[in-house]
Amino acid sequence: MWAYILRRLCEGIITLIVLSFVVFGSVFLTGDVTTFLIPVSEDHDQKVYEAQKKAMGLDRPFIIQYGDFLGHALRLDFGNSFVIRQPVKDLLMERLSATVHLALAGLLLSVAFGVPLGILSAVKRDSAFDKITKAFAIFGMAAPQFWIAIMLILLFGAQLKLLPTFGRGEMEGWLPTLAQVPDMLYHLILPAFVLATSVTAAIMRLARSAMLEVLDTDYVKFAQVKGVHDRVVVWKHAARNALIPVLTFGGITMAGLLNGSVVVEVVFAWPGVGLLLFQAVTSRDYPMAEGAILLSGAAYIFTAILVDILYGYADPRIRVN
Amino acid sequence: MANADVVVLAEPGGIRAVRHRLREARLPWIPILILVALVVLGLGADVIAPYNPTKTDITIGGQNIIPPFQDWSHPLGTDKLGKDYLSRMIHGARTTLRVTAPAMAVAIIMGTLIGLVSGYAGRWVDSLLMRITDAVLGFPSLLVALLIVTLLGTGIWTVVMAVTATTWARFARMIRGEVLVNRERDFVILARITGVPPVLIIWRHIFPQTVNTLMVLTSLSIGQVILLEASLSFLGMGLKPGEPAWGIMVAEGRAHLIGGWWLALFPGIVITIVVMAFNFFGDWLRDYLDPKLRRAR
Repeated sequence: MWAYILRRLCEGIITLIVLSFVVFGSVFLTGDVTTFLIPVSEDHDQKVYEAQKKAMGLDRPFIIQYGDFLGHALRLDFGNSFVIRQPVKDLLMERLSATVHLALAGLLLSVAFGVPLGILSAVKRDSAFDKITKAFAIFGMAAPQFWIAIMLILLFGAQLKLLPTFGRGEMEGWLPTLAQVPDMLYHLILPAFVLATSVTAAIMRLARSAMLEVLDTDYVKFAQVKGVHDRVVVWKHAARNALIPVLTFGGITMAGLLNGSVVVEVVFAWPGVGLLLFQAVTSRDYPMAEGAILLSGAAYIFTAILVDILYGYADPRIRVN
Repeated sequence: MANADVVVLAEPGGIRAVRHRLREARLPWIPILILVALVVLGLGADVIAPYNPTKTDITIGGQNIIPPFQDWSHPLGTDKLGKDYLSRMIHGARTTLRVTAPAMAVAIIMGTLIGLVSGYAGRWVDSLLMRITDAVLGFPSLLVALLIVTLLGTGIWTVVMAVTATTWARFARMIRGEVLVNRERDFVILARITGVPPVLIIWRHIFPQTVNTLMVLTSLSIGQVILLEASLSFLGMGLKPGEPAWGIMVAEGRAHLIGGWWLALFPGIVITIVVMAFNFFGDWLRDYLDPKLRRAR
């Protein structure tokens, strides 16, 4: 097991290094960062340009600059944002808690709804319940998240005036005080729901088809014949094995959460890393964008590894291969 | 001659045969009609759309905005600047085609070539290409797209590139798998023994075996691609604001939710329907071409 974990970690680190190389390399190829840092009044002055370039170390060969970048990136040091003129690291850390809260809430919602609904629709195959959940899944995988978000804002915010439609309230940082909890949950409802739609749909379909396969196996049929109570057969005997493929695809659906979080954060003005990345991209704030992309990438890669390790625990056959 | 009779009996010719085969295929008519409509409206947008989609008309109604289903000279109403919304929706179909078609074409060609080379060459070429493919696959597509937009700025070709960069890897992976299965088959080995050059073996003997997979994967990917394009348009990374793209229209409708609910509603419904149509069609194609690929339902 430890060898397996170690191998996955090494693979993850290599992917991350490749990613950092691509990010740095493409910035290096397309933009001369120097011109961004010179005051406009001295834009034409060749001497100022050279001096700035030298001061920033931008006249050195590519590989040395990359090594420098990597060394700093390991300490999460991406320099100052061009726009806000503050260290990228501080800005990212300030926003990270909001994104993690949102992602956890979304994941929790999609597992809490997706797994039981998927299992039930397999058990009640071809019933009205099965058809309704199927229709929801088809819709959830086809409707654009930004549109669902706006429609919910229209309904619950503009028309019914029931739920807050932007920001995270008075909440700041990682842990809410007891008094902040209701307000925090209140602000989380809409964004977390939107983030969860497509992932819930995917988990539901997956749990359903896995469950159908397991229900068809001999050991489940034997348990039924033996007279074990239906509820025990479904939730204890069958569901346990049906959840293994759901867990594998958990890593892949996490990509959905990360993809979605940029869009959802923009629509709901949720002050997270995704919104920061969006602002950095639109203002071509290179250090900010590099930092946000690498941080999101690292989060994604290590989540996938964590899921793989959990999968190794759930299904020992995986570890051998 | 007896043989010919048997053939005729087994396969009745003419229209009846075609009709019989169509019925057997259980074609998904509704998705197909939607997709045909998309293509026709997209290609003929200039002729079909009743108004110029970007022309503003500040004289309309005195308050510059007409709700849908009230004034039949503007069936879907207008936006705040008096642009006819039906015309904008129709031209949105064109924008979707303009981004999706070239992006898919490049992604398919690139992915197929890489998959064919990787699968046939094997050894270090295969490991190298597949490591790169895995790295691209194992990364949220919107992040890759945003990185490209940061570097190249906004615009329709940036969106095409971003979509291509995130889509080719799936094709490379699937095609490589197909090549691995087919390269050990007898006719390929025979071709190799008789001295057919590798390029010809790949092109004439292996590639035709992968076409089914390619078609299924294409139709299943288009929905994803349309969603990614719409998201990028919505975030303002594609065409300029004011241009007719469904994602942009939702974004603009967002600013007028009160007093203009249809502005964000209609384009979203159309995106959903089109993506659904492609998903249904892809599912059908997968079942039709290869029953082995059928998932438990």
